Amino acid sequence: MKYNHKFRRTVISSVVATALLGGVSASAFAEVKFGALYPLSGGLALLGEESYRGLELAVEQINANGGVQGETVVLEIGDAVDNNQAIGEARRLISREDVKAIFGTFASSRSIAASQVAEMSKVPYFELGAVADDVTERGLSYVFRTNPTAYHMAETIIDMLVDGIAPELGVDPTELRIGIIHEDSNYGSSVAKHQRAFAEEKGLNIVMEEHYPASSVDMSSIVLSLQDKDVDVVLQTSYQDDSVLFLRQANERDYRPKAIIGGGGGYSMTPTAEAVGHDVIDGVYDADFTQYNINPEFAPGIEDFVASYEEKYNESPRSGHSLINYTGALGLLRAIDAGSGFSADEIKEAVLAMDVPVGETAAGIGLKIGENNQNERASMMGMQWQDGELVTVYPEEASVADMRTSQ
Amino acid sequence: MELIFSLIVNGLMLGSLYAMVSVGLTLIFGITKVINFAHGEFMMIGMMLTYIITTYLGIHPYLTLVFIVPLLFVLGILVQKYLIEPLRNSDEHVQIFATVGLSIAMINLVLMIAGSDNFNTPSSGMRHTLDLGLATVLTGQVVIMLCSIFMVGGLHLFLTRTQMGRAIRATAQNRNAAQLMGINVSRINMVTFGIGIACVGIAAVLLSPLYPVNAQTGQSFVLIAFVIVVMGGLGSITGAFFAALIIGLVDSFTGFYLGSSLKGVAVFGIFLMILIFRPSGLFGKARKLAHVS
Repeated sequence: MKYNHKFRRTVISSVVATALLGGVSASAFAEVKFGALYPLSGGLALLGEESYRGLELAVEQINANGGVQGETVVLEIGDAVDNNQAIGEARRLISREDVKAIFGTFASSRSIAASQVAEMSKVPYFELGAVADDVTERGLSYVFRTNPTAYHMAETIIDMLVDGIAPELGVDPTELRIGIIHEDSNYGSSVAKHQRAFAEEKGLNIVMEEHYPASSVDMSSIVLSLQDKDVDVVLQTSYQDDSVLFLRQANERDYRPKAIIGGGGGYSMTPTAEAVGHDVIDGVYDADFTQYNINPEFAPGIEDFVASYEEKYNESPRSGHSLINYTGALGLLRAIDAGSGFSADEIKEAVLAMDVPVGETAAGIGLKIGENNQNERASMMGMQWQDGELVTVYPEEASVADMRTSQ
Repeated sequence: MELIFSLIVNGLMLGSLYAMVSVGLTLIFGITKVINFAHGEFMMIGMMLTYIITTYLGIHPYLTLVFIVPLLFVLGILVQKYLIEPLRNSDEHVQIFATVGLSIAMINLVLMIAGSDNFNTPSSGMRHTLDLGLATVLTGQVVIMLCSIFMVGGLHLFLTRTQMGRAIRATAQNRNAAQLMGINVSRINMVTFGIGIACVGIAAVLLSPLYPVNAQTGQSFVLIAFVIVVMGGLGSITGAFFAALIIGLVDSFTGFYLGSSLKGVAVFGIFLMILIFRPSGLFGKARKLAHVS
């Protein structure tokens, strides 16, 4: 009886599977399937979904203009709730859905896990939003990244300090006493490592470096250390909670450095500014993906992007993640469109031929796959909180406002 | 001098905050013998409710105590009655997994309803800085400090001076003997669990104006709370209070002199030392009968 049962189940499931497979290959005519792998539920869902929206808008735009190589792009969604599921979903997309490439992923750890699977199955993996170095530094040949990374974040922060903030303050940058504080996961540590390297290159004076767990509930000892060491410029790489905590506690202890420059995540978000108070965060600098208060001449297409975003989702973009995903996806899809087929090597060849100069995409960045399959024309933007808004102030050609220093 | 004073004040403020969170945990731990891994999540729920009630009704966050404390008391009773009590006779590990499961379920429930956003209860004047001359503190921190002293004192009086308190202590000392004396042990356990959760409800309300809350907030506080509970001696409320102050001071001083990255090393180093050299905790008496149940 038992065996009979099992046998029947096997027969039924294989019949169903065959039917499904048949269905897939029939509908695949004139359609090309790509995977979209993002954390769409769980703790990272908010920005994961925001990132996905960028990809979705890019695909819609491409389809409206005739698709890629004459075929309509269909996105098959995978939900990367955690690293294990990212791997599972990548496998499903590749083997069951037969996608030609995967786009993703927002979270670095998910990206690192899932791209490994894609590499082994020889399916191109396009990272549009994760910043950790390791995504592209593992020597994989089918994993590409279009967005700026931890390296670029540190580069923008140090450049903005040396070329923008120090002249504005009227001091020689080497005279400033710099303190680096960062949360202690891979993200904060790798940004800090690059900050140190760039700072040494420019001969800057780092007087303090400290890291802390992102879940810290008290940072008053860090503030006391910064005060004790007379730090003029604080560089913090952080998530949201720790950004709020630091800015609040610094303010409450009346610690007023000449400049605070935040990196990414926490510092760019309006809820952070609201939690800290707009009067407190006013004047604080930030380096991150391109945000929306940017010179549209430097970021052609950004206004159209915002318009179609608002039309589709009935709200304004919630962060720059959608824009950076959109920019990368659009460039890649156009490149694939110019290619000659959908095999891994044909896609790779097409993508390597992509060549978009800086200042000609909606995010202002250029697109050109270079060493380690990383976009060598990516960069982050320097911004400052001014009167309740995060405005782009660096580089000059992207800026919409002058830097303000409280001297 | 000013610096040392600042560090001491910071340490004590942080310590009393930890004390508030730990008191309920040590009560539940010591008396029902249940390791409540969902303790932090009850706090998170309390903070979420404080946020919701405060923003919708526009009242001062402290007024939400009137709703939240009874609500969490009842919630605690229900959890004890329908989750822990049925597992009374199973292996201890099963109870641990039940509370771990409860914690995961609560976090994900909140994620499902509210997403992973941070919610900020209006600070309502509680982030106002008070200048003590040598150091500055926030009004909210002073309130937490005072309330933690009242809470510990109040619980101590309740446990030593009332009939119910005596019954609770009797149950903690020897469950079977207490039962033979006519004490309804499962009712005592429910009340204790309820009180423990209500305590963390008070902590949640008082913390809300100072800290943003998200689904993961409970996790940041509860690990330290476990260290404090063990350090103070399982079930010792005054022990937990002083242990919390010590941990607060260690946190503050190591954070400044050794760096924030080494805070954890210092705190958990002390924790390991205590487990090795004084497993009954700094203030706990080795109650031999406590484990007869």
